[in-house]
Amino acid sequence: MSSVALLLSPLWLTWKNSFLRGARPWTRRLSLALLAGMFWFGTYLVLRRVLRYFETVHELGPALAYQLLLIILLTFLSMLLFSNLVAALSTYFLARDLELIHAAPVAPNGFFFARLIATTINSSWMVLFFSLPIFAAYGSVFGGGIRLYLWVAILLPLFLLIPAAVGALVTHLLVYAMPAKRIRDLLFFIGLFAFLIMYFLFRFSQPERLVQPESFGNFMQFLSAMETPSSPYLPSSWLAEILAGTLFKRDTEPGFFFALLASYAMFLPLAASWCSSAVYLDGWSKAQESRQERRKLVWLDRLLDFLTRPFPAITRAVMLKDIKTFLRDTTQWSQLFLLAALIVVYLYNFKVLPLDRSPMPAGTLRTVVAFANLGLAGFVLSAIAIRFAFPAVSLEGKAFWLLQTAPISLRALLWSKFWLNFVPLFFLGELLIFCSNLLLKVPGWMMTLSLITMFLMTFGIVAIGIGLGALYPNFNYENAAEIPTSFGGAVCMIFSIGFIGIAVMIVAWPIYTLALRAFQRGRIFLPEYSVIAPPLLIVLALTVVTVAVALRVGIKHLERLKD
Amino acid sequence: MIQIHNLTKCYGKLAAVDNLNLQVARGEIFGFLGPNGAGKTTTIRCMMGILKATAGKVLLDGHDVVGAAQQAKAISGFIPDRPFIYEKLSGSEFLNFVGKLHRVDAARLSKRIAELLEHLELTPWQDELVESYSHGMKQRLVVCGALIHEPRILVVDEPMVGMDPKGARTLKDLFCALAAGGTTVFLSTHSISVAEEICHRIGIIRKGRLISCGTMSEIHAQTDGRNGNLESAFLELTREQDLAVPAAQAL
Repeated sequence: MSSVALLLSPLWLTWKNSFLRGARPWTRRLSLALLAGMFWFGTYLVLRRVLRYFETVHELGPALAYQLLLIILLTFLSMLLFSNLVAALSTYFLARDLELIHAAPVAPNGFFFARLIATTINSSWMVLFFSLPIFAAYGSVFGGGIRLYLWVAILLPLFLLIPAAVGALVTHLLVYAMPAKRIRDLLFFIGLFAFLIMYFLFRFSQPERLVQPESFGNFMQFLSAMETPSSPYLPSSWLAEILAGTLFKRDTEPGFFFALLASYAMFLPLAASWCSSAVYLDGWSKAQESRQERRKLVWLDRLLDFLTRPFPAITRAVMLKDIKTFLRDTTQWSQLFLLAALIVVYLYNFKVLPLDRSPMPAGTLRTVVAFANLGLAGFVLSAIAIRFAFPAVSLEGKAFWLLQTAPISLRALLWSKFWLNFVPLFFLGELLIFCSNLLLKVPGWMMTLSLITMFLMTFGIVAIGIGLGALYPNFNYENAAEIPTSFGGAVCMIFSIGFIGIAVMIVAWPIYTLALRAFQRGRIFLPEYSVIAPPLLIVLALTVVTVAVALRVGIKHLERLKD
Repeated sequence: MIQIHNLTKCYGKLAAVDNLNLQVARGEIFGFLGPNGAGKTTTIRCMMGILKATAGKVLLDGHDVVGAAQQAKAISGFIPDRPFIYEKLSGSEFLNFVGKLHRVDAARLSKRIAELLEHLELTPWQDELVESYSHGMKQRLVVCGALIHEPRILVVDEPMVGMDPKGARTLKDLFCALAAGGTTVFLSTHSISVAEEICHRIGIIRKGRLISCGTMSEIHAQTDGRNGNLESAFLELTREQDLAVPAAQAL
């Protein structure tokens, strides 16, 4: 067995044993597979629908589809670059088995290439999974036949290998220059910053202009701009060029672009391997030495102390511990930047909505959009709850025994986590609704109804997150980011969306009634506002039941852990 | 068999190991003692080529651990203080992997795995996933891994942590048997009784410096024979001036 295959054997043995001998029941695996299949098929159907629509736009259709392919591949490339940087840092310098491997007489080259393959697999499988329905949708709409799939099979491994080799190369140089544990933080910020810039650029460049050709001088100018890749030096553009030749029957030079892709896919791993042989030992040695210094923030301690004063002493201790660990974990709190970006983009979308150009009366349309906004904001809130509330119990990790043996009831523990998540989510939800409704200029009754509904929904969303987080705890996580993406996370998302859907449907009736009266008569009389009360009471009852059931299910499961 | 020349390892301004010189002969069990943070684990990691020394040289059977790393590692086995085992591999799969890393030929490997598992009483568990092992069983599996290629040098960092008395006895007997067969055992431990019981010579390290080295009687002689056992001698040699009394009073 070659040394590369040998070094990779624990990886595939782990997969094999987890699959065949894992503790997870088959029913759960099947539902997970079903969920993944539905997502896969959903992506395929949605993209096929979009591409079919593009196809109906004569002459411009293939150009639009090509631009979309470029954007998709560029997004994949940037995601791959970042995830490979992080994965390479873990696999080469921070993995727990490195001591075992380095104490054995392993050839450095074999080690480098085995870890490169592991890095590529770790960081690319998701892109590979989601790219397949995309290529399938393109193939089904624009043809290309077996040639397209052959190209995809040959080109994708090359395309995935390039960012992996770049990630390994850059990681080796970074670790050589500085301690590894700080690099992980650094990389996180670089990635976050890059993501925010990309997100803002994409949003503020207003891609909706692409469907308004009148903004270009003439049609030919527009068409030519659409058929040219914006960044010809990127591997994503080379891949798009080759596929475009097969898909859109365009006169490209697939041989040239294939040679470019293949030569870089061969050269970059070799360059990274050469660099690794020169700097790895120093970098690996440094990676074990890094120590971080922390400044003590007295004012923050005082502020937290003041804010948690209303709670009982034990609950307060748990809350303070949770807040401090959250603030000291860069990967946790820096997600707030992402959140801020999402809020800005979310609200910006409402600002640019062309409501006045719609054939519907503006007032009615605003109410309809505000109603949809209630569901959307709820969805945003549940996505955030899954990221923060769902992992709350799991984050106790291997120190959970400390709470189990302390004189604190599980009920008090879950409630402390509930309030800790409820307060920020409450402010966020209300802010989203208030600002977006302000931008939409909705009537006062709609604003009030939306704010109250969102207030009630926040209780349910947070309780579902905490309760199901306790039902599916993962105390042995290697990386906190893996908790929300687990099976339990998916179940939590489904329940959360179900709860929001029911709550929004309940308030749909008064909204419909009042909007109709306003449209028919131009005004609403005071007694008519009473239609708001019964549905709100029903939402209140639904929320109380949801909170009680979700937390009880979580507590019961945590109690069973003691059996 | 083990030669350490002027070994120094600095973390920033702190010298974790400071100009250490040591020689351990073939078939000798050498006990490496010192208080917490004295530099024992750092020394061992430099010896195994896991940590790059700031200065100095380590030779394992004449092979430089930096210049001839593969040769040095091929003849040595290592049991770390916090060993890693792939949790989703079975005991025999793990040993098979480690054996192949050390290039043990296939026919010999399966025989060796069976021998070691039998000796350390893990045979009934060989096909179970490591995640279901107790702490002591994991320790014994790591010992099997370190011995799979019949190393000439065995470097052990805190071997008895979490072991039950029977497991500890098995391990001590094993080290003695290995030494009798010509294997050099370099043993870092906190357990003075273990060192006293099985080690031929002892080195005491404090703040990165070797402050005492020799046989049991030589160590006693260094404390003017005032101390009747190794524990008292160790405490006297590693005593922090004036620190112990206030700490005890505070307790």
